[in-house]
Amino acid sequence: MTDMALIRPRLTDQYGILKPQAELDFAIPFLDEDIPLYVDPFMLWRSPSQQDQALHTSLLNAFNHLGVLSARGQEEQAVATLIIASECDEIGLGTSATRRGKRIGEAAAREIVSLFKRIPQYAQVGFRHFEEIQFFVDGISKDRISDISCSFLKSFLIDFTIQQCEQLGIPTAPSEIQNVYDYRKNAFETQRDIPLPVNPKDGKPLIFVPKRWLRYVPWLSYDDYFEKYCPQDEISHKPEEITRVKVLNYNRDHYGVIDNYIKAKERTFDDCHSDPLFSQIPVTSAKRKFSIIQKLPTGKDGGADRTYEDVMGQLLPSLLYPQLDFAQEQARTESGVSIRDLIFYNTASTPFLDDMYKTYGSRQITMEMKNVVAIERIHVDQLNRYLADEMGRFGLFITRNALKKAEWTRIIDLWSGQRKAIVVLTDADIAQMVELFDSKQRDPIDVIVKKYSEFRSKCP
Amino acid sequence: MKNEDEVNNLGKLIVQLHGLHTEISLLAKKSPNDGLNLFKLKLVNKVLARGNEILTGHYKPFEDFNEFDEEALPTNSDVTMILTLYIEQVERFRSDNVVYSDKDYHWYYVINGERSNIEGAAPTKLGTDKK
Repeated sequence: MTDMALIRPRLTDQYGILKPQAELDFAIPFLDEDIPLYVDPFMLWRSPSQQDQALHTSLLNAFNHLGVLSARGQEEQAVATLIIASECDEIGLGTSATRRGKRIGEAAAREIVSLFKRIPQYAQVGFRHFEEIQFFVDGISKDRISDISCSFLKSFLIDFTIQQCEQLGIPTAPSEIQNVYDYRKNAFETQRDIPLPVNPKDGKPLIFVPKRWLRYVPWLSYDDYFEKYCPQDEISHKPEEITRVKVLNYNRDHYGVIDNYIKAKERTFDDCHSDPLFSQIPVTSAKRKFSIIQKLPTGKDGGADRTYEDVMGQLLPSLLYPQLDFAQEQARTESGVSIRDLIFYNTASTPFLDDMYKTYGSRQITMEMKNVVAIERIHVDQLNRYLADEMGRFGLFITRNALKKAEWTRIIDLWSGQRKAIVVLTDADIAQMVELFDSKQRDPIDVIVKKYSEFRSKCP
Repeated sequence: MKNEDEVNNLGKLIVQLHGLHTEISLLAKKSPNDGLNLFKLKLVNKVLARGNEILTGHYKPFEDFNEFDEEALPTNSDVTMILTLYIEQVERFRSDNVVYSDKDYHWYYVINGERSNIEGAAPTKLGTDKK
């Protein structure tokens, strides 16, 4: 492990594991924030894999056991178990920036447990999809469904994490994990000395999730139901009176409506797919974005610089995927000048990127966007100062026109004196990248390779 | 040319250059600035290498050009242009290496300075120096 100051650090980069997200089975955890996706239990149900289906069954058994407890008069225990299950911190999914969630309150837990008595179907045969609770209880969101799933599946996820760590060589440390569900005891317990990866920032253990389970919105969702299946006229003829609470109350007394919704969604399971962690923009959209740039004047008038940066921020991550994983857009200020960069993780996934990694220590690649007529000496100096050792000594200017002779000499001098490499991508290069993105004859990143090789051929 | 094999190789080169040129110029008309994919580029380089073996001295289109650099991301139009120049030069070379026979009014390849029995098409690039 190193102490490098990476932008939006991920676990793998921190440990020098050079694998792009596209090649890994799990969603790479960020160290400072959550992955903005959720586990959808329906993905396990609809999976062709027997393992996933069996896990779905275990998940349901665990959840339905709350009903068993409640029927036996052990309602307090059911409520307590559900409260524990409602948050799973080791798994960083969702939108919180702190990786610390809040459990549900006792009242909400009690309301959920009461469904086992309130709705005859659940009293008799239990849930087929526990995420149905969102149709009856207010405040059950996708992150809650995801957390409850992960809590009950934690034991499997721990094994999955250990296996992935062994495969990739991610360092682990004996960790104590609280609230691991034991299927024999039907209760949560603490397990010790489990070899798990640790977040170097706070020393807390991390658990991975298979990316095939992840979606932005669960397949069974309240909004989808309300919009397309809910008989709104039966609830009220005045749209403003159809509140969420009214819909939830209606559902409790009309389980058949929910049942039909579930059956319809089960029939169309073929359309239910996991959401990718990064999705490329389509070719037509890439072309449209480039045509915006072509028409854009240089400079700041009318916010042209901002538009340029925004469009490039949408275009380049797609053009360079999957060879480079996009980290984030960064705004920094240098000598009172606001600078915007695109930062990519360098996972050394091609010979060229590997060369940049080894030659320039380039763990992340900075692309500074400049909507100017010409790159000036001051711009080169600013990027030069930024290409310090912790970032790696390879960077790019994304700008409109080719460098003038003096600035070109300056970047050659930077290579001669400090072994720093700066590559300049102009509108013409972006045009070619968009063309390659469309034709797929070569990878758009090959344009950067070409420009680097042109640059190096000029170096002494 | 020194032997029959060289004549055969020349014939093969001409066919391959024309074949590549036909295909790639179609791509170049559609999208001149698009990169040629690596598979095609490797084939082009193989044919150019064969061309460089045959087209020596003043027949070689460019002194300092031997093949395309994959890293340089040559475009369809770059490749078409080079192929055109190779086609021109290979025909010049061929034209300089056929002679006319008064006996049967046909053209024959020259091997080791003498007319062979291998028939060739009439030259189209006259007026260059013989090697």
